Amino acid sequence: MSAQTKPKQRLSRVRRFLRHPLWAPLNQREAWDRLATAVNPLWSLMEARARVVKLIDEAPGVKSLWLKPNARFKGFRPGQHVLLELEINGARQARCFSFSSAPRADGLIRLTIKQKTNGPVSHAAQGLKPGQIVRLSQAQGEFAPRSASQKLLLLSAGSGVTPMLSILQNVANETSDQDVVMVHCGHNENDIIFADELRKLAAQYPQIKLFLHATENAGRLKEEKITALVPDWNERETLLCGPDGFMQTVESMYAKAGRSEFLQSESFGHRAAPIDPNATEHVIRRENTAQAFVVLSGQSLLEGAEAAGLQPKFGCRRGICRSCQCKKLSGTVTNLLTGQISGPGEELIQLCISTPQSAIELAL
Amino acid sequence: MASHKRRLSGVALEKFEAELDALRLEVLNDIGERDAKHIRKMRSIVQASAISGRGLLMFGVGPISWVAGIIGLSLAKILENMEVGHNVMHGQYDFMNDPSLNSQTYEWDIVCDGEHWRHSHNVEHHNHTNILGLDHDFGYGMLRLTESQKWTPSTLLQPLWYFLLAINFQWGVAVHDIKIGRFVKGRMKYSEFRERVTPFLKKSGLQLFKDYVLFPALAFWQWPRVLLGNLIANLIRNVWTNAIIFCGHFTEDVQTYTRKEVENETRGQWYLRQIQGSSNLEGSRWFHLMTGHLSHQIEHHLFPDLPAPRYADIAPRVQDICQRYGVHYNTGGFWKQYAGVLVRIVKHAWPTKLRAQPVTT
Repeated sequence: MSAQTKPKQRLSRVRRFLRHPLWAPLNQREAWDRLATAVNPLWSLMEARARVVKLIDEAPGVKSLWLKPNARFKGFRPGQHVLLELEINGARQARCFSFSSAPRADGLIRLTIKQKTNGPVSHAAQGLKPGQIVRLSQAQGEFAPRSASQKLLLLSAGSGVTPMLSILQNVANETSDQDVVMVHCGHNENDIIFADELRKLAAQYPQIKLFLHATENAGRLKEEKITALVPDWNERETLLCGPDGFMQTVESMYAKAGRSEFLQSESFGHRAAPIDPNATEHVIRRENTAQAFVVLSGQSLLEGAEAAGLQPKFGCRRGICRSCQCKKLSGTVTNLLTGQISGPGEELIQLCISTPQSAIELAL
Repeated sequence: MASHKRRLSGVALEKFEAELDALRLEVLNDIGERDAKHIRKMRSIVQASAISGRGLLMFGVGPISWVAGIIGLSLAKILENMEVGHNVMHGQYDFMNDPSLNSQTYEWDIVCDGEHWRHSHNVEHHNHTNILGLDHDFGYGMLRLTESQKWTPSTLLQPLWYFLLAINFQWGVAVHDIKIGRFVKGRMKYSEFRERVTPFLKKSGLQLFKDYVLFPALAFWQWPRVLLGNLIANLIRNVWTNAIIFCGHFTEDVQTYTRKEVENETRGQWYLRQIQGSSNLEGSRWFHLMTGHLSHQIEHHLFPDLPAPRYADIAPRVQDICQRYGVHYNTGGFWKQYAGVLVRIVKHAWPTKLRAQPVTT
């Protein structure tokens, strides 16, 4: 009956035996990893890492990062993204970026990164030098055409072009005759990222049709314009990526036409809630649950959680022991001891000395 | 010469608090790559000396390699416990977002379970420093170090108890958070006791297996020298860490507090208690590293989550603040301070009487 599953189970039992803490430190992977890293910084038993091969300026404030990953990196599908982790002043920080090229035979990957104000990773990525080592996650995301035969529409704006280029290159590489229309908007002709690359692809492959839309001359890309450019838009499977406003326009257009199920949108991570210093209370959501509770301004998250009937672990309640340390997924908090205001993204906070400045999501 | 317990109040207390807060903030804003580099370097030294120490013990020939192996392994254990483990578990390096250096998941090379330590040390000891009855580190429930503690005839034997604790220090630390005394006196249910004992048995079992079964066995016929070498390395670590830790809170001039004294304590008063309840050791950079910077016990107790090498930087400024507010800053060389500890242990083995403590305000 279970002839097929048995060897697998045995393997995992062997593996469990080998990983048992009884054999520590001989089986501590972190320790072996450090030794491997000392020999070659790219080597790792557990981490996907990559060597920076080159940096290319694509447009003002936009650079492409060519990376050569190590063997721990398991590859990606066009349209997916990856967490790029850099060490910034001693602290590891990671952000999501889309692959901007299709998978290649030489294993190189390309991430295209636009410098953001208040974006520590995008900022530090601009300063990388060839030869440096960065950490990667495995590829993530389900953003991809569902079938290779269906007619496709790619709608993007700004740096939303990156996953589209990866998908488009893949269509070209596989020399499929999939009918693809791409509409991309940028501010003006000069700062459209990858304009040349897109044009070249469109010229080379007749099944790819390209419209570049410059908002400086033609205004924002509206519903009427899309229907004019792509009359058969409501027969196409659609992929959408770009800034919030643009995505909302397209999403409501598809909702109106009852075509929402043929539209896939991609936006990066949680959009952190805006800071609201005048609010008297803030909503705190808990990761992976529908539960939420309310914390008053100036009240610590620990007290708020307890008032809501939760029982987070705590110790000293004065910010020294870190028993109540918890991962904040998004939102801004103030440290009650130092008055420092946190960033909007993922970081560790101490519940007993943090008070919310915005809606918060906690891994509690 | 015993110094007086200093109390501050009103504006002076507020200013004192503000100065220390500002100092903490200043260092906090400067934390970064330098600290990350430091802890990674320390971890590399630990790993290198552990590998070479254990290697020499297992595969070396002759007494010289044996002694060298013991030195290597002792160094690894001392540095790992004190400069890496203790400080990482305080959250000093949580800013790095490195899962292998995270305070809540780090596990160290000692028989004491990490979770127990985080509770008894980070929560109880650092919060309630030197408050009799609340700080279970004060005398570890077996030593009488002040007149306010109860004397019984068996207290006369406390120099002997101290000697036994010193050579078995890691076991003392390991059973500390189980609070066996409360169970023996019937103040703890068996179910709770079992819950507290299990992590201890698990962790100490793994440590015993590692040092006295696994590594000796891997050395085949050389197993006796590995077993004995590991035993001695653990002994050296025990005696050293015990000496340093006793110098931190039990030197002659260190003050103790009663529960009543700390009612409604402000942050400034808490700072004051941390300073007067701790004592520093003077020495070279390597001495500080080998103590895990607990030689800067005062700075550590003021700011337990600042990366430890920063304590050396801010010590002169803390000392200056203390001087200006008339607070005794207890510091001295190792032998002077340790002699003070031994004197205190012997002195209070006798039924010393409680005299009214002079207090300066």
